[in-house]
Amino acid sequence: MAVNSPASREQILRRQSLIRLGAFLSVLALALLIVVKVENMLVSCLLSFVFSYLIGPLVNYLERRGVDRVLATTTLFVTIGVLLGLTIYLTLPMLVERVQIMQTDLPKYMAGITRLVESLQVKMRFLQGIGVDIDVSDLIQERVMPATEQVFGALPQIFKKLFTVLLLAPFLAFFMIKDGRHFSRTLLALVPNNLFELTYNIYHQINDQMGQFVRARLMEAAIVGFVTWLGLWMISFPFAEVLAAFAAITNLIPYVGPVIGTIPAVLIAMVNGASAVEMSLVLLVYFVAQLIDAAFIIPVVVAKIVDLHPVTVIVVIIIGAQVMGVLGMLISIPVASALKVTIGTVFRYLTDYRV
Amino acid sequence: MVNFIWDNIFKRSERGRDLLHILGENYLFETLTKAELKFVKEMVHVRNYRPGEVVFRQGEIGVGMYLIASGSIDILVEDIPADKPEKQTVFVTRLGVGDFFGELSLVEENGRRTATAVTSVETTLIGFFKPDLIEIVERNPSTGVKIVTRLAEVLGKRLKETTVKVTELKREMRRQMEKP
Repeated sequence: MAVNSPASREQILRRQSLIRLGAFLSVLALALLIVVKVENMLVSCLLSFVFSYLIGPLVNYLERRGVDRVLATTTLFVTIGVLLGLTIYLTLPMLVERVQIMQTDLPKYMAGITRLVESLQVKMRFLQGIGVDIDVSDLIQERVMPATEQVFGALPQIFKKLFTVLLLAPFLAFFMIKDGRHFSRTLLALVPNNLFELTYNIYHQINDQMGQFVRARLMEAAIVGFVTWLGLWMISFPFAEVLAAFAAITNLIPYVGPVIGTIPAVLIAMVNGASAVEMSLVLLVYFVAQLIDAAFIIPVVVAKIVDLHPVTVIVVIIIGAQVMGVLGMLISIPVASALKVTIGTVFRYLTDYRV
Repeated sequence: MVNFIWDNIFKRSERGRDLLHILGENYLFETLTKAELKFVKEMVHVRNYRPGEVVFRQGEIGVGMYLIASGSIDILVEDIPADKPEKQTVFVTRLGVGDFFGELSLVEENGRRTATAVTSVETTLIGFFKPDLIEIVERNPSTGVKIVTRLAEVLGKRLKETTVKVTELKREMRRQMEKP
C-alpha cells in the first residue's frame, strides 16, 4: 500500500485519532482517580466547584467593569474570606456552646426517644399475634446510641477534615476561576479533531447546567433554611439555628431531604413533651418552608435547569446513597443530569444526522 | 541545552505573535485593539490537521467557525441529483490562509453544517466557537459587540450574495421554461 494512498492516509488518521482519544481519556481517568483516592480531595473538589460557580459570575461582573481578572478574583476571595472569618469568629463560641448543650442533652433525648418507642411498642403489641416481634427500644439502645456517641467522639476528627477541606477548596476554586479556561483548553487540545466540536459542546452544556444548578439549589437551600429559622425562632423552639441549618443542608437532597430535615425537630418536640398545638406549629413551620420551596423556588429556578423525571430522581438518589452515602445523595442529581446531557448530545450526534 | 531552551521559548512566543497577527488580520477581529486581540487569543483553539482530514461533515451540528492559519480547505457538498440514485460529492471551493468558514454556527441554535470541510494539505485552523463568543460578550461586552457587529456584516453580505444568486437562478429557470 502506497504511503500517500487514500487508504493508508485514512489508517494514519484513525490511528492518530485513537492515540489522542486514549491520551484524553487517560488524563481524565487519572484526574478522577486522584480525586477519588486522595484523602479529602473529592469533597474539596466538589466544594471548589460550588465556590467557583458561585464566585465566577461575580468575577465576570467585575471584569465587565474593567477590573483585571486576577485582581477581581483575588479581591473577591480576600473579601469573602475576611467576611467568613469574621462570621466564624463571632459565631463560633455560640456554635460550640450549642454543640456542647446538645452533647450534654443527648442522653436525655435518647432516653426520651426510647421511652416514646417503648410506649409505641406497647400500643403495637397486636403485631406479635401475626408473628412480627421487633424490640425497637433494644435496637435503639444497642445500635443508635453507640453510633450517635461515636459521631460526637469523632467530632475532633471531623473538624480536622473540615479544616483541611475548607483550606483546600477555596485554593482550588481560586485557580479554577483564574485559570479554568486555560486548564480546559489544554485538556481539550488532546481531543481528536473529529470529536472536538462534540466534546466542546458537551463540556459547555454540562458546565452551564452545573453552574445554574448549583446556584439555584444553594439559593433554594438558603431560603428554606431562613424560613425554617424564622418560623422556629417565632415559636421559641430550641436549637432553631442548628435545626434550620440542618433543614437547609438536607433540602439539597430532593424529595427525601425535606423529610429528613424535619425529623430532629419532631423528635425534640416529642421528647420535650410538646402538646398537639406545639407539635402542629413545628410541623407548620417546616410545611410553610416546603410550600414556599415547592410553589415558588422550584418552578421558577430549579425545574427548568434539571429536567429529570421524579422516578429517575428517586432511583438516582438511592444509587447515590448506596455508592457514596450522604455525599452520593447530594451529588447524584448533578451527576445524573451531566450524564443525561452527555448521552443525549452523543446520541443526537450519532443518530440525528440530517443533510 | 541552553540553545534548546531559548529556541523553545522563542518558538512559543513567535507562535503567540503569529496567532495574534492572524487574528488581527481577520475581518471579524480587524476592529479590535491589541489588548482585545490578546483577550480573544486566550479564547480560541488552535487545531492541526493532516491532509485529507475532515474538519466537519455536512449535516453535523455545528458549534462554531474556523479561520485558516496555514494550509487550505476544500468545501464539498453532498448532493443527490434528480437523474441519479447515488449521492454525489460536489466540489464548491478551496479556501486559503486568512479565509474563514462555518461562521453561521456562531449564531444558530443547533444548526447543521451545510457543507463538508476537508483539508487538502497539512493545515492549521483557529477554532472560534459559540461558547467562546458568549464568554467574550459576558466578560468583555465592548469586544463582544465589535465581533458580533462584524459577524452580522459578514452574514448580511452572504445573505445578499445568496439572494442575488437565487434571483439569477429563478430568472434562468423562467427563461428555460419559456423556451419552446
